[in-house]
Amino acid sequence: MSEEKTPFEITRRTVIAGATLVPVAALTATAQAPETALTPAQKKTLEAFVDRLCPKDELGPGAVECGAANYIDRQLAGYLAAEKESLLAGLAAVDAYARTAQGAPLADLTPDQRDAVLTAVEKGGASGVSNGPAFFARIRRLTLEGMFGDPYYGGNTNFAGWDLIRYPGPRLAVGPDEQKMSTPPKPYRRSAYGSEHGH
Amino acid sequence: MAINLKPVDVAVVGLGAAGGVAVLPLARAGLQVAGIEAGTWMDPTKDFHPDEIYNNVRGMVTTGNKIRREAPTFRADPSRPAQRGGPSPMMNAVGGTSIHYHAQSWRLKPWDFKTVTEVKKRYGPGYLPKGSTLENWPISYDDLEPYYDTVEYEVGVSGKAGNLKGVLDPAGNVWEGPRQREYPMAPLRSTDYLERMKAAARSLGWKPFHSPAAINSEPRSGRGACGYHGYCDRGGCHLRAKNSTCFTTIPEALKTKHLTIFDRAQVTRIVAAADGRVSGVQYLRDGKEYFQPAKAVLVGSYTYENVRLLLLSKSKAFSNGLANNHGQVGKHYFGHWDAQAGVIVNALFPVDLNNWYGAILSQGVVIDEWADDSFDHSGLGFIGGASMTAYMEKHPIASAATQTFGQAPEWGSKWKAWIHQNAGRTASAYLQTNSFPYENTYLDLDPDVKDPVGDLVIRVTSGPKENERLAGLHAQDRMEEWFKAAGAVATTKGNPVGPRLSTHTYGGTRMGDNPETSVVDKWCFAHEAPNLAMLGGSVFGTSGARNPTLTIQALAWRTAEHLVKSWKSIAG
Repeated sequence: MSEEKTPFEITRRTVIAGATLVPVAALTATAQAPETALTPAQKKTLEAFVDRLCPKDELGPGAVECGAANYIDRQLAGYLAAEKESLLAGLAAVDAYARTAQGAPLADLTPDQRDAVLTAVEKGGASGVSNGPAFFARIRRLTLEGMFGDPYYGGNTNFAGWDLIRYPGPRLAVGPDEQKMSTPPKPYRRSAYGSEHGH
Repeated sequence: MAINLKPVDVAVVGLGAAGGVAVLPLARAGLQVAGIEAGTWMDPTKDFHPDEIYNNVRGMVTTGNKIRREAPTFRADPSRPAQRGGPSPMMNAVGGTSIHYHAQSWRLKPWDFKTVTEVKKRYGPGYLPKGSTLENWPISYDDLEPYYDTVEYEVGVSGKAGNLKGVLDPAGNVWEGPRQREYPMAPLRSTDYLERMKAAARSLGWKPFHSPAAINSEPRSGRGACGYHGYCDRGGCHLRAKNSTCFTTIPEALKTKHLTIFDRAQVTRIVAAADGRVSGVQYLRDGKEYFQPAKAVLVGSYTYENVRLLLLSKSKAFSNGLANNHGQVGKHYFGHWDAQAGVIVNALFPVDLNNWYGAILSQGVVIDEWADDSFDHSGLGFIGGASMTAYMEKHPIASAATQTFGQAPEWGSKWKAWIHQNAGRTASAYLQTNSFPYENTYLDLDPDVKDPVGDLVIRVTSGPKENERLAGLHAQDRMEEWFKAAGAVATTKGNPVGPRLSTHTYGGTRMGDNPETSVVDKWCFAHEAPNLAMLGGSVFGTSGARNPTLTIQALAWRTAEHLVKSWKSIAG
């Protein structure tokens, strides 16, 4: 009924363990393929969407290459499972609007046609897409999480998202030289959960 | 039927920033203390990660807590039903929100304690904010100074004195009240970006200084120094360099063997006898109900829960809630007008700032020229102002999600090129506006919303406040000036609309000499229940223009020490 605990006593060993920051859950999670939520067709539609939010171009990989759709797919099978139904309904509505307005599913349209579809969704002018602006904002937000979050969650492939915005990576201890403006720190391409993530 | 536990001398409800400090002087004095905490211990090696999705997107350090299941409802207009106010960023754990706070450890200014007197003297009685219920505090800065000093050394605060016994030093905050000695540690280190901001401030004739922080700038008390890794905000410290009470005062109190911690224990009622004295607290643990008898009870469960516990604890002696026979519980509540209230300035620079890493506000520089009563308010139509902090630490998702200052669309190749260049060139400033209590703003129980155990949650009613809006707008203009002097090519300013739910809330169990306008006396013991004391921002009468935690902790220490010294008269 009552419980007296002593505070966590830190030792050299636990400091080192903390420095690698590999929780047991992360180690076991990598032993099997992560669960996903989308059918191949749904994934293709989602990729056609996020590709226009951040296209592959002369600056390098875009949202698809950064694994943003992978991130969303995995989260909808896990942490964001409660959102799966509404998100897939929104995606289906966008695809239906693409057929009506541009004559083909989203994934089969040219980049300009897809931009026209997405713009209509963003501005609330895509008929059949309920709460278009909110749906667009949610996909954009999840795309940013997938591109720029820790690769542990299935996105930010090869740290391409962090490279794009020149974020130097989650170092555990940062020295004075790594906070200088004149000489920015070298990229530290590593997940907070160990080197097996992110490639 | 509740299971009766062995009586203790003192029951402390909540082991966060406030209760986690109060237990130390009590236990050192040899009193038997029960620390009753809704959360449990967190493990720095397993629970804290440099991961924006974990800390900031999902709030994993704060999720799953009792406080989220009983988040208050909110309404701006009392004629309308209140809505769920959104998730509370406070948390339940041994150490509480001091685990993930920004560790800013400010003393309030002498002016904050006697605002009514000072405003009348300088500007005349008509200059006090309309509709406010402002009073002087029943204590002065000088009364609290020794306790600020004690807590700065016991918890461990880094900083630079600006007023050492009346001798001013512009390397520190010359606007602070006199202090008896220097901080125990130097401030966290400076950076190129912070030096750029300091030079800009000086070019405007202002006196920048490094912010005071409960973070080790050097190894201290067997723990290391700050690693500046940039995941301080909403994250616990994997190095235990942030001086959360679970790493500082709570372990010290446990060493005395006089503190017993009851974790995962949700206090539901404070029990009062017919004579108005409290006899202990009732709590739930794993579905079972317990009664912990105590000779004195200290409640430090955050503003919303402090008020809620009193209002829920009805008895023969207190039919409207504990210590509420004068109808003051829940009154004089107010939230801080800070970024959570829309007071914010963002800037875009033409160079890379390399402000990714850091320790949020604690690795920062502050301007106090435009806070409190540092400047002449004649003709401005408001009192108070805001402290302004430029700081290190920002995260990749938030930096990519930043506005584009009207220079690019929000998606597509042009956006991609824009964030490639500019995600590392933006900065935000944190502004905290002096905020005051008003008649139109208060807490009560929401008659329509219950928590999972069937108790009503708190309802926040918060009406408009012109004084704070004007003060916030004024501060935003000064901050914009500061950013531009530092070379910013574009800025955007917030729309100060006022706080909803906030981590900076005050009042509800205000401290005062008059039971008609306050709940607790100058020692923070209840006027109506002499062996019940309140800890936390709920006793504040003004907010100051800065983070409340150090003042909360100094008051908690003072209340605990008073209980020890007056044990026979209070608890005997």
